[in-house]
Amino acid sequence: MSHTLILSYVTFIYFAAFVLYLFRMILQKEFYGVAATYTAWTGIAVHTLAVIFRWRDSYHLGFGHVPITNLYESLVFFAWSIMFLYLGIELRIKNRMLGAFVVPVAFLIMAYASIAPGVNQSIEPLIPALQSNWLTSHVLTCFMGYASFTVAFGCAILYLWKNRKDAAGPGSSGWMAHLPSLDVLDALIYQSATLGFVFLALGIVTGSVWAHYAWGSYWSWDPKEIWSLITWLIYAIMLHARFVRGWRGKRMAMLAVVGFISVLFTYLGVNFLVSLHNYI
Amino acid sequence: MKKVNILWSFFSSVKLTLVLLFLMVLLFIVATVVPRESIAPEFAWLADIHHSWLFYILTAVFSLNLMICSIDRWPVTMKQFKMTGIPVPSGLFENLPEKRVIFTEKNIEDAGRVVEAALSSAIGRIEKSDTGTGLLFYRQRGRFSLLGVYIVHLGVLIIIAGAVIGSMLGFKADMNLSEGEESSNAQLTGGKGAHRLDFSVRCDRFIMELYDTGAPKTYRSDLSFIKEGQMIHQASLLVNHPINVNGVRFYQSSYGLAEGGKAILTFKREGTESPEIPVKEGESFDLPVENAKASVLRVEENMMQMGPAVKLNIATGKGSIQLWVFQHIKEIAEANPGLLSEVPLFNPGLFQPLLFSLKRIERQYYTGLHVVRDPGVPFVLVGGLLLLAGILMAFFFTHQRIWVLVTSEAGGGTTICLAGRVNRYQDVLQRQIDDLGVKIRKELSA
Repeated sequence: MSHTLILSYVTFIYFAAFVLYLFRMILQKEFYGVAATYTAWTGIAVHTLAVIFRWRDSYHLGFGHVPITNLYESLVFFAWSIMFLYLGIELRIKNRMLGAFVVPVAFLIMAYASIAPGVNQSIEPLIPALQSNWLTSHVLTCFMGYASFTVAFGCAILYLWKNRKDAAGPGSSGWMAHLPSLDVLDALIYQSATLGFVFLALGIVTGSVWAHYAWGSYWSWDPKEIWSLITWLIYAIMLHARFVRGWRGKRMAMLAVVGFISVLFTYLGVNFLVSLHNYI
Repeated sequence: MKKVNILWSFFSSVKLTLVLLFLMVLLFIVATVVPRESIAPEFAWLADIHHSWLFYILTAVFSLNLMICSIDRWPVTMKQFKMTGIPVPSGLFENLPEKRVIFTEKNIEDAGRVVEAALSSAIGRIEKSDTGTGLLFYRQRGRFSLLGVYIVHLGVLIIIAGAVIGSMLGFKADMNLSEGEESSNAQLTGGKGAHRLDFSVRCDRFIMELYDTGAPKTYRSDLSFIKEGQMIHQASLLVNHPINVNGVRFYQSSYGLAEGGKAILTFKREGTESPEIPVKEGESFDLPVENAKASVLRVEENMMQMGPAVKLNIATGKGSIQLWVFQHIKEIAEANPGLLSEVPLFNPGLFQPLLFSLKRIERQYYTGLHVVRDPGVPFVLVGGLLLLAGILMAFFFTHQRIWVLVTSEAGGGTTICLAGRVNRYQDVLQRQIDDLGVKIRKELSA
């Protein structure tokens, strides 16, 4: 069975996990929560295997390389990182509510990778510019960063929503009461944004070392570079506003949403501009 | 003095930092969305905002702000850095939640021993002191993480300094070399004139390899570096593998088709064929007949839809004649009977007794080299490393302080209070202290 086919099954597994997380949230039956967690773990296990198969197949084709070198592979890896981080957080906070907000993002990314026209799914050999030892560390750190920002975004949406409901009427009733508390969400937004900030810093530095070797300049003001810097600065603003000026809660959540929009533009939007960085 | 204070408080404000960062973000967004081609000349600078005065001034103000902010906060950080367990922060043991206050029937000595053992096994080395009111245990960790933010700021300043040094003392240029060509002239990037290297570069060979799919696999230039007639260095240049010669770095950046191809000619004399003669437009070669000399007037890839051809001028002592040599002369003659006699210009045997033939035209590539000297790079590298190290220190470590106060109650028994302070991630420390409380309770009842 080909890895692209397995990966399209993974899309459905993630969708199933999302639906189960949603059931857990609305029906308040722990059964659905446990089922959701198992489904999500199955999904990431199959996902990991498929990526390994794809990696191995690239060697069979005679030009083996890590499967993170074109848009399709990057989307697949992006979804994997999101699930990886989410499941880690679920283990840590022992609350499954976030699943209904983060897992659908991974599902949508996988779906986009599988069905969007113009996303080439075949394994391509590396062009000279990509033949570098910096490829793996650069892509890995950038996408771990993007995934952390995605988790922060999921928490922020949950925060803003819960905050509005709480403001509407005190004593949130029914399943709303089972959401993580605003304080926990606030801490999660801060921590995942921080993690993303660190990873993106690593991604920018490794990218700039690579650019030094490949293009002869560690910084060329290329749109991709500028947008990664914009994203990094937005989160820098967020972290400073919190640590030095004591911003909390709603403002942090809003910044996490703005930051995520910038992440999306850095990742996908830049492709509509003229860029040196036109691999992904 | 007052004026200085106003300036100082202006530049030491984090509000200013946030505003500056916000302005930079706005500028960058403008720079990437402004269409570079279709912009009125008076706004052209917007597309190249990072080389505008506006950006330079912003960067300068930002650097000043970063420096003064850091200096301004340094004494406070030092105070935190040097803090000891005693005196405890005011209000530390007030309003503690129930699970942070443990009561035991044991006397203070026994309870103290249990607490000390539990703390040592859970969090390592602890300080113990006997205050007037009871025993105080204190543990601090990750003090160095307080310095992380200063290291990040120092890193950013060094990166900016490196960029300034690079743009003032370095250069960026490009040079295109055909195979066999040697030059010491490079064109500065952005059309800012030429830069002359103090040695010259020769491209001995340019090789492009393709995958079966047609995608490029390798671009490689074999280069020789020559100074005052001496070869100083020879190497193959590949993408991602620059060559450093006397502090100037060379990068494989592009390639292209050189103007005019190289024609490979031969001539036959009485049935024996000469070796292949590679010639370019404008070059000439000797012929073994009465001091005759042939020069190449034109090299055409497709002459009058009849394929590759070369126009030669053959000069002897008596005069000169011109003729075209087609690669596919056989097919052309078969398709047009009588052509060679009607148009002698197309007859490759016009100059008796030689019969010319054109084997092929080799299209010649040039290699595009990017030539850079940037003395700022080591600074940027050090700055980048400091930035990463500082970020890791600041965010992956916290300055944690934990106090446990053991006091004897007037009516007998002992009370144990747990409290802590941390500069980041409150919840992590709170959980840790809760776990400590559980552990102490368990060991007290054991």
